[in-house]
Amino acid sequence: MKTCIACGMPMETAADYPQGNTEKDYCLYCAKLDGSMQSFEEKLEGLTNFIMKTQGLDQDAAWKTARKMMSTLPAWKGHF
Amino acid sequence: MGTQRQEQKNQTKRHLINVSIRVLAKNGLLRTKTSDIAKEGGVSHGTVFAHFPTREILLAEVIEEVGSRIASRLHELAVNGGSVREVLAAHLEGLLEYEAFYTRLVVENNLLPGRSQHTLIMIQSAISIHLNQAVEREVNLGTFRSFPTHLLFNTWIGLLHYYLVNADLFSPNESVLQRHGQTLINHFLSMASP
Repeated sequence: MKTCIACGMPMETAADYPQGNTEKDYCLYCAKLDGSMQSFEEKLEGLTNFIMKTQGLDQDAAWKTARKMMSTLPAWKGHF
Repeated sequence: MGTQRQEQKNQTKRHLINVSIRVLAKNGLLRTKTSDIAKEGGVSHGTVFAHFPTREILLAEVIEEVGSRIASRLHELAVNGGSVREVLAAHLEGLLEYEAFYTRLVVENNLLPGRSQHTLIMIQSAISIHLNQAVEREVNLGTFRSFPTHLLFNTWIGLLHYYLVNADLFSPNESVLQRHGQTLINHFLSMASP
Protein backbone atom coordinates (compact mmCIF):
# COMPACT_ATOMS: atom_id res chain seq x y z
CA MET A 1 0.00 0.00 0.00
CA LYS A 2 1.32 3.46 -0.90
CA THR A 3 1.25 6.51 1.35
CA CYS A 4 0.68 9.96 -0.15
CA ILE A 5 4.04 11.75 -0.46
CA ALA A 6 2.37 15.13 0.12
CA CYS A 7 0.11 14.53 3.14
CA GLY A 8 0.92 11.04 4.43
CA MET A 9 -2.56 9.59 3.88
CA PRO A 10 -2.55 5.85 3.20
CA MET A 11 -3.89 5.11 -0.29
CA GLU A 12 -5.69 1.80 -0.45
CA THR A 13 -8.11 1.92 -3.33
CA ALA A 14 -8.24 3.71 -6.69
CA ALA A 15 -10.75 6.12 -5.08
CA ASP A 16 -7.92 7.51 -2.93
CA TYR A 17 -5.94 8.58 -6.04
CA PRO A 18 -6.41 11.68 -8.23
CA GLN A 19 -8.77 10.74 -11.07
CA GLY A 20 -8.42 7.12 -9.93
CA ASN A 21 -4.86 7.01 -11.30
CA THR A 22 -2.93 4.57 -9.07
CA GLU A 23 0.34 5.42 -10.84
CA LYS A 24 0.45 8.69 -8.88
CA ASP A 25 2.34 9.01 -5.58
CA TYR A 26 -0.06 11.57 -4.12
CA CYS A 27 -3.72 11.34 -3.07
CA LEU A 28 -6.83 13.01 -4.45
CA TYR A 29 -6.78 15.61 -1.65
CA CYS A 30 -3.31 16.77 -2.73
CA ALA A 31 -4.18 17.08 -6.42
CA LYS A 32 -5.43 20.10 -8.35
CA LEU A 33 -8.51 19.78 -10.58
CA ASP A 34 -6.31 18.83 -13.56
CA GLY A 35 -4.78 15.95 -11.57
CA SER A 36 -1.33 17.52 -11.02
CA MET A 37 0.05 17.87 -7.48
CA GLN A 38 -0.66 21.04 -5.50
CA SER A 39 2.20 23.45 -4.83
CA PHE A 40 3.82 23.81 -1.38
CA GLU A 41 1.89 27.03 -0.73
CA GLU A 42 -1.43 25.52 -1.84
CA LYS A 43 -0.95 22.46 0.34
CA LEU A 44 0.11 24.51 3.37
CA GLU A 45 -2.96 26.68 3.05
CA GLY A 46 -5.26 23.70 2.44
CA LEU A 47 -3.90 21.73 5.38
CA THR A 48 -4.06 24.77 7.68
CA ASN A 49 -7.72 25.32 6.76
CA PHE A 50 -8.50 21.62 7.15
CA ILE A 51 -7.06 21.49 10.68
CA MET A 52 -8.91 24.69 11.66
CA LYS A 53 -12.21 23.45 10.27
CA THR A 54 -12.07 19.89 11.61
CA GLN A 55 -10.26 20.39 14.93
CA GLY A 56 -10.87 24.05 15.71
CA LEU A 57 -7.22 25.10 16.11
CA ASP A 58 -6.17 28.74 16.26
CA GLN A 59 -4.99 29.94 12.81
CA ASP A 60 -1.35 30.45 13.73
CA ALA A 61 -1.19 27.16 15.66
CA ALA A 62 -2.82 25.36 12.71
CA TRP A 63 -0.31 26.88 10.28
CA LYS A 64 2.65 25.86 12.44
CA THR A 65 1.25 22.35 12.88
CA ALA A 66 0.63 22.00 9.13
CA ARG A 67 4.25 23.04 8.43
CA LYS A 68 5.56 20.48 10.92
CA MET A 69 3.45 17.75 9.35
CA MET A 70 4.69 18.72 5.89
CA SER A 71 8.33 18.80 7.01
CA THR A 72 8.23 15.02 7.58
CA LEU A 73 6.84 14.23 4.12
CA PRO A 74 8.97 13.36 1.08
CA ALA A 75 7.20 15.74 -1.34
CA TRP A 76 8.32 18.84 0.60
CA LYS A 77 11.89 17.92 1.60
CA GLY A 78 13.35 20.78 -0.42
CA HIS A 79 11.27 23.36 1.46
CA PHE A 80 12.76 22.85 4.93
CA MET B 1 28.23 -9.01 3.28
CA GLY B 2 27.42 -5.29 3.26
CA THR B 3 23.75 -5.99 2.60
CA GLN B 4 23.64 -8.54 5.39
CA ARG B 5 25.13 -6.06 7.81
CA GLN B 6 22.66 -3.40 6.72
CA GLU B 7 19.77 -5.85 7.21
CA GLN B 8 21.01 -6.67 10.69
CA LYS B 9 21.26 -2.96 11.47
CA ASN B 10 17.69 -2.39 10.29
CA GLN B 11 16.52 -5.35 12.36
CA THR B 12 18.14 -3.96 15.51
CA LYS B 13 16.54 -0.58 14.85
CA ARG B 14 13.10 -2.15 14.42
CA HIS B 15 13.67 -4.13 17.62
CA LEU B 16 14.65 -0.94 19.50
CA ILE B 17 11.58 0.91 18.19
CA ASN B 18 9.27 -1.89 19.33
CA VAL B 19 10.94 -2.09 22.74
CA SER B 20 10.76 1.70 23.06
CA ILE B 21 7.01 1.69 22.31
CA ARG B 22 6.49 -0.72 25.22
CA VAL B 23 8.78 1.03 27.68
CA LEU B 24 7.61 4.56 26.84
CA ALA B 25 3.97 3.49 27.19
CA LYS B 26 4.72 1.97 30.59
CA ASN B 27 7.04 4.60 32.10
CA GLY B 28 6.03 7.78 30.28
CA LEU B 29 7.41 9.53 27.20
CA LEU B 30 9.45 12.15 29.03
CA ARG B 31 10.45 10.11 32.05
CA THR B 32 11.92 7.10 30.27
CA LYS B 33 15.72 6.96 30.09
CA THR B 34 17.62 5.52 27.14
CA SER B 35 19.29 3.16 29.62
CA ASP B 36 15.83 1.71 30.46
CA ILE B 37 15.32 0.98 26.76
CA ALA B 38 18.76 -0.62 26.41
CA LYS B 39 18.10 -2.81 29.44
CA GLU B 40 14.65 -3.90 28.30
CA GLY B 41 15.91 -4.54 24.76
CA GLY B 42 18.89 -6.59 25.92
CA VAL B 43 21.42 -4.34 24.15
CA SER B 44 24.21 -2.06 25.35
CA HIS B 45 23.57 1.62 25.97
CA GLY B 46 26.00 2.36 23.12
CA THR B 47 23.85 0.36 20.67
CA VAL B 48 20.88 2.60 21.40
CA PHE B 49 22.98 5.68 20.61
CA ALA B 50 24.38 4.08 17.46
CA HIS B 51 20.82 4.07 16.09
CA PHE B 52 19.48 7.21 17.76
CA PRO B 53 22.14 9.89 18.37
CA THR B 54 20.12 11.63 21.08
CA ARG B 55 17.21 10.79 23.37
CA GLU B 56 15.14 13.47 21.66
CA ILE B 57 15.68 11.87 18.24
CA LEU B 58 14.67 8.47 19.62
CA LEU B 59 11.52 9.92 21.15
CA ALA B 60 10.60 11.78 17.95
CA GLU B 61 11.16 8.73 15.73
CA VAL B 62 9.18 6.41 17.99
CA ILE B 63 6.28 8.87 18.29
CA GLU B 64 6.22 9.33 14.51
CA GLU B 65 6.28 5.58 13.98
CA VAL B 66 3.38 4.94 16.37
CA GLY B 67 1.51 7.93 14.91
CA SER B 68 1.77 6.61 11.39
CA ARG B 69 0.84 3.06 12.46
CA ILE B 70 -2.27 4.35 14.24
CA ALA B 71 -3.19 6.68 11.35
CA SER B 72 -2.86 3.85 8.79
CA ARG B 73 -4.87 1.49 10.96
CA LEU B 74 -7.61 4.08 11.49
CA HIS B 75 -7.80 4.78 7.80
CA GLU B 76 -7.88 1.06 6.99
CA LEU B 77 -10.70 0.41 9.49
CA ALA B 78 -12.72 3.57 8.92
CA VAL B 79 -12.58 3.75 5.14
CA ASN B 80 -15.49 1.32 4.83
CA GLY B 81 -17.46 2.78 7.72
CA GLY B 82 -20.76 3.93 6.31
CA SER B 83 -22.38 5.13 9.51
CA VAL B 84 -21.12 7.39 12.29
CA ARG B 85 -21.39 4.41 14.66
CA GLU B 86 -19.12 2.34 12.42
CA VAL B 87 -16.51 5.11 12.18
CA LEU B 88 -16.48 5.62 15.98
CA ALA B 89 -16.14 1.87 16.51
CA ALA B 90 -13.27 1.83 13.99
CA HIS B 91 -11.65 4.72 15.88
CA LEU B 92 -11.69 2.81 19.18
CA GLU B 93 -10.54 -0.41 17.55
CA GLY B 94 -7.68 1.40 15.82
CA LEU B 95 -6.50 2.92 19.12
CA LEU B 96 -6.83 -0.31 21.09
CA GLU B 97 -3.49 -1.83 20.08
CA TYR B 98 -1.61 1.32 21.16
CA GLU B 99 -3.96 2.42 23.93
CA ALA B 100 -1.27 2.91 26.60
CA PHE B 101 1.13 4.73 24.27
CA TYR B 102 -1.62 6.92 22.81
CA THR B 103 -2.76 7.88 26.32
CA ARG B 104 0.81 8.93 27.20
CA LEU B 105 0.90 11.01 24.04
CA VAL B 106 -2.36 12.77 24.98
CA VAL B 107 -1.17 13.47 28.53
CA GLU B 108 2.35 14.61 27.67
CA ASN B 109 1.83 16.18 24.24
CA ASN B 110 2.27 19.84 25.17
CA LEU B 111 5.46 19.05 27.10
CA LEU B 112 7.11 17.25 24.18
CA PRO B 113 9.84 18.77 22.01
CA GLY B 114 8.38 20.79 19.11
CA ARG B 115 9.25 18.15 16.52
CA SER B 116 6.87 15.62 18.10
CA GLN B 117 3.84 17.73 18.91
CA HIS B 118 2.17 17.55 15.50
CA THR B 119 1.79 13.75 15.63
CA LEU B 120 -1.34 13.87 17.77
CA ILE B 121 -2.99 16.32 15.35
CA MET B 122 -1.98 14.04 12.47
CA ILE B 123 -3.71 11.10 14.16
CA GLN B 124 -6.83 13.22 14.75
CA SER B 125 -6.81 14.32 11.11
CA ALA B 126 -6.81 10.68 9.99
CA ILE B 127 -10.00 9.94 11.90
CA SER B 128 -11.74 13.32 11.55
CA ILE B 129 -11.86 13.06 7.78
CA HIS B 130 -13.87 9.81 7.99
CA LEU B 131 -16.04 11.00 10.85
CA ASN B 132 -16.98 14.17 8.97
CA GLN B 133 -17.90 12.25 5.85
CA ALA B 134 -20.11 9.87 7.84
CA VAL B 135 -21.71 12.75 9.75
CA GLU B 136 -22.46 14.63 6.51
CA ARG B 137 -24.13 11.56 5.05
CA GLU B 138 -26.25 11.05 8.17
CA VAL B 139 -27.18 14.72 8.49
CA ASN B 140 -28.49 14.54 4.91
CA LEU B 141 -30.40 11.37 5.75
CA GLY B 142 -31.87 13.10 8.80
CA THR B 143 -30.43 10.58 11.28
CA PHE B 144 -27.91 12.97 12.88
CA ARG B 145 -28.13 16.58 14.08
CA SER B 146 -25.98 19.23 12.48
CA PHE B 147 -23.17 20.80 14.55
CA PRO B 148 -20.11 22.91 13.72
CA THR B 149 -17.55 20.38 12.43
CA HIS B 150 -14.81 21.06 14.96
CA LEU B 151 -17.16 21.19 17.97
CA LEU B 152 -18.68 17.84 17.12
CA PHE B 153 -15.24 16.28 16.69
CA ASN B 154 -13.86 17.85 19.86
CA THR B 155 -16.90 16.72 21.84
CA TRP B 156 -16.14 13.13 20.88
CA ILE B 157 -12.38 13.51 21.44
CA GLY B 158 -12.94 15.29 24.76
CA LEU B 159 -15.10 12.47 26.05
CA LEU B 160 -12.73 9.79 24.81
CA HIS B 161 -9.59 11.47 26.15
CA TYR B 162 -11.16 12.11 29.55
CA TYR B 163 -11.72 8.39 29.98
CA LEU B 164 -8.26 7.52 28.63
CA VAL B 165 -6.26 9.91 30.82
CA ASN B 166 -8.25 8.87 33.89
CA ALA B 167 -8.15 5.16 33.11
CA ASP B 168 -6.87 4.50 36.64
CA LEU B 169 -10.23 5.76 37.93
CA PHE B 170 -12.57 4.36 35.29
CA SER B 171 -10.94 1.03 34.58
CA PRO B 172 -7.92 0.35 36.78
CA ASN B 173 -7.31 -3.23 35.75
CA GLU B 174 -8.22 -3.45 32.09
CA SER B 175 -8.41 -1.46 28.88
CA VAL B 176 -10.68 1.54 29.37
CA LEU B 177 -11.60 1.38 25.67
CA GLN B 178 -12.77 -2.20 26.03
CA ARG B 179 -14.66 -1.57 29.23
CA HIS B 180 -16.34 1.75 28.39
CA GLY B 181 -15.92 2.24 24.63
CA GLN B 182 -19.35 1.00 23.66
CA THR B 183 -21.05 3.12 26.34
CA LEU B 184 -19.24 6.23 25.09
CA ILE B 185 -20.30 5.57 21.50
CA ASN B 186 -23.94 5.00 22.55
CA HIS B 187 -23.96 8.17 24.63
CA PHE B 188 -22.40 10.32 21.91
CA LEU B 189 -24.85 9.05 19.31
CA SER B 190 -27.85 9.54 21.57
CA MET B 191 -26.87 13.20 22.13
CA ALA B 192 -26.63 13.82 18.39
CA SER B 193 -29.73 11.95 17.30
CA PRO B 194 -32.53 14.27 16.12
